[in-house]
Amino acid sequence: MAAINDAGLSRRSFLLGTAGLGAVGALAACGDGSGGGGSTSGGSLSLLLPGDVPPEWDRVLGAVNEKLEADLGFTIAPEFIAWSNYAAQSLLKFTAGEDFDTALSARWLNIAQLVESGAIVGLDGAFASGDYPELQVTVAQDAFDANRWPDGAVYGIPAVNSAARLHHYTLRADLVDSYAGGSIDSFDQLEQFWYDVHQREGIPGFIRGGASPWLVLGGPTGVFFPEGWEDPSVIPVFFSSDSLFFVPAADAASTGSSDLVPFWEHQPYVDALRRVRQYYEDGIINADMLNIDTATAKGQFTSGGAASVWAITDGTSTSSQLPELSAAVPGASLMNVMPFADGLAARPNQTFQADNMVVLNASGSDNTRALQLLDWVSKQENHDLLQYGIEGTDWELVDGDRYRQLGTYANFPGYALSWRVDRERKAADMSDSEDELFTWSQDYNNFERDPFSSFIPDLGPVETEHSQITAAIAEFGLPLWAGAKDVDPGLDELKRAMETAGYEKVLDELRTQADAYLADQG
Amino acid sequence: MTGATGGDPMTATTGRPTATTGRPTATGQTEPATPAAANRRGVPARRRRGVQWRRKDYGLVILAAPAIVFFLVFAYGPMAGLVVAFQDFNIKDGVFGSPWAGLSNFEFFFTSGQMARILRNTLVLNALFLAATLGAGVLLALMLNEIRGTLLRRGLQSAVFIPYFVSPIVISIFLQAFLAGVGGRGGIVNDALNVFSLPSVSWYTEPGPWPWILTIVKVWQLGGYFSVIFLAAITSIPEEVYEAGVIDGASRAQMAWRITLPLLKPTGAVLLLLGVGRIFYGDFGLIYAIVGDNGILFATTDVIDTYVFRALRTYGDFGTTAAIGLFQSVVGFVLVMIALGVQRRYSKESSIL
Repeated sequence: MAAINDAGLSRRSFLLGTAGLGAVGALAACGDGSGGGGSTSGGSLSLLLPGDVPPEWDRVLGAVNEKLEADLGFTIAPEFIAWSNYAAQSLLKFTAGEDFDTALSARWLNIAQLVESGAIVGLDGAFASGDYPELQVTVAQDAFDANRWPDGAVYGIPAVNSAARLHHYTLRADLVDSYAGGSIDSFDQLEQFWYDVHQREGIPGFIRGGASPWLVLGGPTGVFFPEGWEDPSVIPVFFSSDSLFFVPAADAASTGSSDLVPFWEHQPYVDALRRVRQYYEDGIINADMLNIDTATAKGQFTSGGAASVWAITDGTSTSSQLPELSAAVPGASLMNVMPFADGLAARPNQTFQADNMVVLNASGSDNTRALQLLDWVSKQENHDLLQYGIEGTDWELVDGDRYRQLGTYANFPGYALSWRVDRERKAADMSDSEDELFTWSQDYNNFERDPFSSFIPDLGPVETEHSQITAAIAEFGLPLWAGAKDVDPGLDELKRAMETAGYEKVLDELRTQADAYLADQG
Repeated sequence: MTGATGGDPMTATTGRPTATTGRPTATGQTEPATPAAANRRGVPARRRRGVQWRRKDYGLVILAAPAIVFFLVFAYGPMAGLVVAFQDFNIKDGVFGSPWAGLSNFEFFFTSGQMARILRNTLVLNALFLAATLGAGVLLALMLNEIRGTLLRRGLQSAVFIPYFVSPIVISIFLQAFLAGVGGRGGIVNDALNVFSLPSVSWYTEPGPWPWILTIVKVWQLGGYFSVIFLAAITSIPEEVYEAGVIDGASRAQMAWRITLPLLKPTGAVLLLLGVGRIFYGDFGLIYAIVGDNGILFATTDVIDTYVFRALRTYGDFGTTAAIGLFQSVVGFVLVMIALGVQRRYSKESSIL
């Protein structure tokens, strides 16, 4: 048996070949993977960023790294993780002890677990050193203070481009002209607009991919929450935003007692649930909210398939949707509407807690360099290079401080690294209404500080019960937020699931911590 | 050489050695298959096997080494991580530094009030998937085998195999077009119902039909794949057997029923056993891609895998999810052992172990 096949390959050659290939594979697997592009003599920081790789990314990253190395002597090697996997993937990477340097985290992600585990770095000491002046100048003290943990420390840099994060609407302005006389000033008017558009155009008034409590339960505003138009002062309290919402007493600050109740005991919230159910049955909202993702819903809106979508005050509503919409529906235009009966004279409550924060990995290769990077991207020219690309190639300056996109480079996730209120430029094509709202939302003085503004409860004592509640909300809450279930039986099911999960214990714990917080506030 | 010392015709046709067959030696002789036989030749079985292993079969060790290393690194090594199921897992302290938590991680699942439903869904859905896909595979293979035109048969064979390569995400989009349409208020199926003056169904808010919908999808996806495996088994059936059938005056249908189907039993048994081994794994990719976070459908579609994924994604508790995963593995292992036992008891000739 000298040969193992007709081709004449000897048994010994075959075995040696197999062993050799195995050895090569094993040696390759034992490498640290640092031989890839981007690493230089000065070292490279690894960053976790959510979302897709922006178009033309390699070219822009090359320019960023060239300048970064010249300025600070190192480069960056970001790793993009799809949004749908980001929460689990980033947590797994922390768990595995990977030495990446920065990541996006937040209360709606896993920051509570990361803080509790000591997996991320406290930042107060670094700021006290005064070594990062650009960073400290561009992130307001209010933002830092609102994001302090119960131990008093700051664990993340708020990556926000506005002071307030207010839920509102982006509407087809051309349809508003046709069916609402050019403006929307009240919830009744908005509702009538939705019904008119649905009846005459045959499209939903509002479209959304993925159900969220914020659509229905105002905080202080919500898409289907008319109460918020009149009184934008109620912000629910919760352990995490994908869990059960509790409503504090209106006079909590003066009495020192939170008197928290589950959301179903707050009548305006129940009314809003009935309203969204009605919209579902009448075809005013899309019926597949639970089944489609945000990108699909956005695609349907920008192809002319709906009259309005959800918006938040981040200044990207127009630039992210108008080009596609204009191409699909010639003559279409956009406008943003803030749900306040008093217009921008309203002073809604805000906690100023950041939706997104940049955190430093305690196992990171070099925390000092990571802070130097965050300081570096806080400078206008560096921020512009990363956010908008190479000036003259990817964008140009217009009207003094706005940018006009020239190439295809776009959608860098600045909210995971470089968003700073004072450094953001407005897109040249931003609608007047969004421009006005965005500018207004960037001023901390336009808002009332919520009584629970910096209240971040400690989940530890009720972790198991809270986990059960979160699972039950996913099953019984999401269909209610989407209007896909009758309200009364749906709420009954939800309450039963909450009782099984032990929500009373969670409520008691939250009340205790909230009352203690109010007492501390004096 | 297999079966040189005998063996039943069934194994002879599949080329699989049985317990009664001997292993050929380098000299072309067949060595005794049992220790008793070895003892009859005056050599202790253990010593004889050891000597032969070192002298003759070193090459096999080298050949097997990559596979052994692979399983050690990727299958057995990671089992050490199961310790997380008994820990109050802490990211900073890691897998081996976190404090012990006893069985508290298991309490989450067992006291959630959802365990019974999730176990039932997992078993029912996978039993449906297994039965339907194997049945469809056999049926398709028999039908394809009866097609005389080679070109047509190969064309159809390729066509039924294609769905196996379609991504679950794409399948979920197909399904939405079929069942819901744009905006969730239509779909091809509802359009068809309306043609017959039947009312539209809001499929994505009705949990009842979903086990059947998922089963249909699964058959569409895997029926062709299994048919190719069965077709390969059919081609290995000796022509003489069919010729004997023709001489006996059997029709095509009788030959398919009396000859082909019985001779597919070993292949079916292997696929069944492999399927039973995974019966506690709920085909996460397909179910999650289609159902996603639609809580209304959880009543009939939530299986252990989707539950674990949701748990990990929403509250990131590794201890709890590892505990559920361990429970899943243990029950899966027990089921494989039971299936193997049943197979050995009632169909020993088709047992693979």
